[in-house]
Amino acid sequence: MTKADIIENVYERVGFSKKDSAELVEMVFDTVKETLERGDKVKIVGFGIFQPRFKRSRPGRNPQSGQPIEITARRVVVFVPSTGLKSDLNDGFVPEGELSAEDLDDNPDADVDEDDE
Amino acid sequence: MLKSDLVNILVQKKGVTQKQAEATVDVIFNAMKDALVAGENIEIRGLGAFHVKHYGSYQGRNPKTGEPIPVKAKRGIRFRAGKELKDRVNRPGPDGKVPPLPPSTP
Repeated sequence: MTKADIIENVYERVGFSKKDSAELVEMVFDTVKETLERGDKVKIVGFGIFQPRFKRSRPGRNPQSGQPIEITARRVVVFVPSTGLKSDLNDGFVPEGELSAEDLDDNPDADVDEDDE
Repeated sequence: MLKSDLVNILVQKKGVTQKQAEATVDVIFNAMKDALVAGENIEIRGLGAFHVKHYGSYQGRNPKTGEPIPVKAKRGIRFRAGKELKDRVNRPGPDGKVPPLPPSTP
């Protein structure tokens, strides 16, 4: 999915013109970026939180030469998906070749040692 | 910044109604959510990319009791900030250093 697909969704489902849809989508993402740039977080209920984090400087290495270098202090953005998004992502998600349902439904209260047999 | 703040900004700056702004913001994030749930990755130029990552199942342990617990395979989301966002967030101050974050406001 790209921005064009999101604009298409707004065009079809909200009913703005293509041009207006594009401008509105642009403004939403610009606002998200501006907010993070200011150092504030953006919380979208049902989707997740975009949060700026400060990383102190730390020692690192040039992976090519092995030279020790200082990784400077910096700000980064992390995205934490909401619990709703996480559960929707895994609801009914059955990957192939995984443990069987029986394995997964093991009684969690079962004793570790079963030595009396 | 909350979803309601985004809505207000659209109302103020784009002259759309409250209802239209709410619908727009909802459609944007619902479309993104639906794509991710469908297993699709998202790339928004300037903002970043969302990648659906598959994690295999493994035998974990209850750290308190040491009891083995099977951990199910699951999917998660990895977000990588785009170049524009990275650069804008990581802008050095007058002293050439990137300042720590101000106290957070909701």
